[in-house]
Order: sequence, then C-alpha cells, then structure tokens
Amino acid sequence: MKTHIFAFTLSIMICVTARAELKWDQTSIELHPTAADKQAIGHFKYQNSGSKPVRFKSVRTSCGCTAAQSQKEEVPPGEKGEITATFNIGERTGTQVKTVTVETDDPEHATTVLTLKAVIPQQLEITPTFVFWGQGEAPKPKTIVVRAAKDFPVKHLRVTSSSPDFQAKVEETGSGQFKIDVQPQDTKRPIASTLTIQPEDSPKIFYATARITNAPAIQ
Amino acid sequence: MAKSFVWRTVDLIVGAVFILAAFTKLFDIPHLDLHQFRPGDLVAFLLGFLQQLRFADPMAFAGDIDNYKILPWTISIALAFYLPWLEIFCGLALILRRLYLGGLSILTALISVFLVATIAAKIRGLDITCGCFGHVSQHWNFSVHLALDLLLLAALILLLLRPGRDFRLA
Amino acid sequence: MVKSSLVRQVLVVAALALVPGLGQAIYFRDKVSWQSPVPASEMVAVAQARAWGGNAIWVDARPDDEFARDHVPGALSLNEDRWNELLPQFLAAWSQEKKVVVYCSSQSCNASREVARRLRNEAQLKNVFVLEGGWEEWLRSNR
Repeated sequence: MKTHIFAFTLSIMICVTARAELKWDQTSIELHPTAADKQAIGHFKYQNSGSKPVRFKSVRTSCGCTAAQSQKEEVPPGEKGEITATFNIGERTGTQVKTVTVETDDPEHATTVLTLKAVIPQQLEITPTFVFWGQGEAPKPKTIVVRAAKDFPVKHLRVTSSSPDFQAKVEETGSGQFKIDVQPQDTKRPIASTLTIQPEDSPKIFYATARITNAPAIQ
Repeated sequence: MAKSFVWRTVDLIVGAVFILAAFTKLFDIPHLDLHQFRPGDLVAFLLGFLQQLRFADPMAFAGDIDNYKILPWTISIALAFYLPWLEIFCGLALILRRLYLGGLSILTALISVFLVATIAAKIRGLDITCGCFGHVSQHWNFSVHLALDLLLLAALILLLLRPGRDFRLA
Repeated sequence: MVKSSLVRQVLVVAALALVPGLGQAIYFRDKVSWQSPVPASEMVAVAQARAWGGNAIWVDARPDDEFARDHVPGALSLNEDRWNELLPQFLAAWSQEKKVVVYCSSQSCNASREVARRLRNEAQLKNVFVLEGGWEEWLRSNR
C-alpha cells in the first residue's frame, strides 16, 4: 500500500515538474551588413532546458522580405537548435527591424517574438533624390546635397545625366559633402532625366531624378 | 571610514546607472568599432563618438511607455521627454550629494512604479520592450530586467534607510 | 523639518528636470505626434482616399508577386526590393497637386510606412499618406 502511495505521489510530482522550456540565447539580434551584402542572416539559438519535448507549431515573419526556418520540428529535452532568419536587403536603407513570431506547444512560453535589426550602411545621403520644375517655370538650377558617411570617404563624385536636356554640375563643399546643381535647358515639355551618381573608386551607383512635371509648379 | 566609502561607492554606481539609462533613451548610441580603437587615439575616438551622437526619436521611447497600455498617448509622449532628464538630475543628486534625499526618493518611486507596471504587463501578456535602457536593452529577457530592477530598488532602499543624514538634508 | 526638506528637494529636482525636458519637447514639437502614435495627418481612410478620385496616386508597397496577383486598379508598384528601378515610373505619374496613397498588406506590416517615409524624406514629396487598414481594408470596402 505504502509503495503504491509512494509511486502515485512520485508520478504526480513528475507530471507536475515535467515541463518543456525553450531557452533562447538571444531574442534580439543586431546585424551590420556591409554595402555589398544582399542578405542579413540572424541565427537565433535555443535549447530545450525542460524535461518534455517542445514542438514548433509555426514560425512566421513580419514581412515578405524576411524568411525564417527552423532546423527541427520537435526539440527533445536537452537538445539545442536554431532558427535562421534571412532578411533580403534589396534596396532598403537605414535601420530595418523585422520580427519572427515562433509558436510552440510549451504552455508557459507559447509565443516568442524574435527581433532582427539590420543597420544598413548608407554610404551616401542624397537630399533630395528628386528635383522638379513645373511646365513654364523658370529653368533655374536646383541643388541636390550629397553627404558621404564618416566611414566611407569620397574624394570625387561623378554625375551623369541620362538626358542632354538636363545639366548637372558637381561641386565639393568640404567635409565629405558635395552639391549637385541641376538645371534644365527649358521647361516647355514634360521630360525627365535619371542622374547617376557614382563615387570615385566605388562600383556602387546611386540615383536621383530630375523632371519637368505636367502641371505648373505650385509656388 | 570603510562604511562611508562603501556608501559613497553605492551612491556613485546607482547614480551612474540611472544617468546611463537616461542617456540611452535620449540618444542613438553610435556603433563603436572597437577593433579600430588604439589607446593613443582616445581623444579622437571619443570625438568621433560624440560627432556621431544623435538625439533618439522620442516617439520610440514614447512607444515603449505606450506599450504598457496604462497611460494615454499624450501623457506617454510627455513622459518620454521628461523622464530621462529626471533620471539624469536624480542621478547627479546622488553623485554630487546635492538635493540627495529628493533625488533618492524620486528614483525609488520611479523604479517601484516601473516594477509594478512591468509585472502587470507581463501578467496581461503584453508585448513590451522594457525601455529602461532605451532600445539598447530590448534584447534582454524579462528575468534579466526584473533582476536588475530589483537590485536597483534594493540599493535605493538601503541608501534611504542608511544611518546618518548630515548631507542629505542640505 | 525632515518632511518639508524632502518635499522641497523633490520639487526642486522635478522642476530642474522640467527645463531641458521642455526644451527638448519644443525642439521636437513638429517632429512628433502629440495625439496618436502615428501622426493623423499621415494616415487616410479608404473612403477619404477614394473620394480624392483622380487626384490620388495609389502606391502598392507589397512585394512584386503580391502586386501581380491583385492590386488597387491603377496602382503603381513601389517596393523597397526594387526601389531604384520602380521609383522613376512613379515619379513620371506624380505631380504636385496629387495625393499619394501608399498601402501594403495590413496595418501591422511596415512596408507602406517605410515607402511613405522615403517618399517624404528622400524625394521630399508632400501629401504622402498611408492607407488605414491597408490592402485588406480596401478589399473589405469593395465588397
């Protein structure tokens, strides 16, 4: 009788104390991809520190630009693994924050949100990237300011216009800053030009647009 | 003498922690490439760091306060502007031992309210970034946050209850 | 005496902190939204956007495959995967009196806000709005 009671009590204790628990090394990763990288990949490592297996029910990302994969569908007790989040940089700029929501059958931590922060280096800051004149507006030059990032020194800038109807003149104003004066020949017709901006000794190309818009400019 | 030194050290550490916390809420901390650091270039390194320092977007910290879903948005954004400076002045009060009791009381009240709000948010299942160290701390898990905040509260209470009140009423 | 000294000290510290806090609030007064987490002036409801008629340019910030599957009739695709390639065609359709309505797959997705931000900050366009409720809201309003 005593043995039965003991075994029963022990089994209750085991059921009560047996639990799944997925412990994450980090739930937030900050990445610093280089200008040449097309993707930023974060590895979210975990370990099942409980005594029951953990099953992944779903792994969802916050946007289509990020894919997330789990190595395993079920994690036995004591086992380690990782969820790999791949963020496609595309032509994004600045700091991008993407999340991966992981759902498991662990009732204590059913949902975990993993955060991937990618700081995309901006070699050149171009302001504005679009200059325009209304039809009939005086064809005065408009200025685009280009600032090079501190860790991306630029000595010279090459600017070409895709259309001969627009002229672009570059002037260095010091401290890694340049100004591009863009001027149309006239503003009679709605025409456009893509300005290609290329730092010397860099294969990377940046763009700005110049355009004569259909309607007269609002003064 | 030794006791006085210990209390002084606690004052300095706690004061510095709150000033640092405020700093991370006020500014976007530039990414430091420590591989490029050379001891002889300390001044240049620091100048470079300061040049890259920018005000953080107050909407970010206001969003962290708003995530607790306790206060209306307008109060959240007002607090986002006010709280970091309050932390700095209270931290300085501890370090410089001027307006000491006032600074200490405010910090104790702040961290107590914050602890209650954090635990309540956790119980409600809200998705919160702590916000206590700005977005720098957003990768810390709940247990780490709780442990650090309880430690700070304990230190503040000890400072409040310590014997000797000579400078503290100045 | 201790109590009054404590109150005095608390008030002094609180008042001191108010000065730079107010200064920072004044500095950022135009850059923050005081009424709601997203500036109301940057959002537009479906009904309002549709009422703009031909004065609105609809911009789809979703990935190419989602745009290809379905989109607001007449909308232009402009996403961050192919920003440099798609921007010129958008700018060709844009003019100053037009209102730009950017949408993506749901309110929680950030793509429309990012595209709107870049149009405002980089191209320095005015009258750029994010559609409240996104693509799903537009579909719901069309039923």
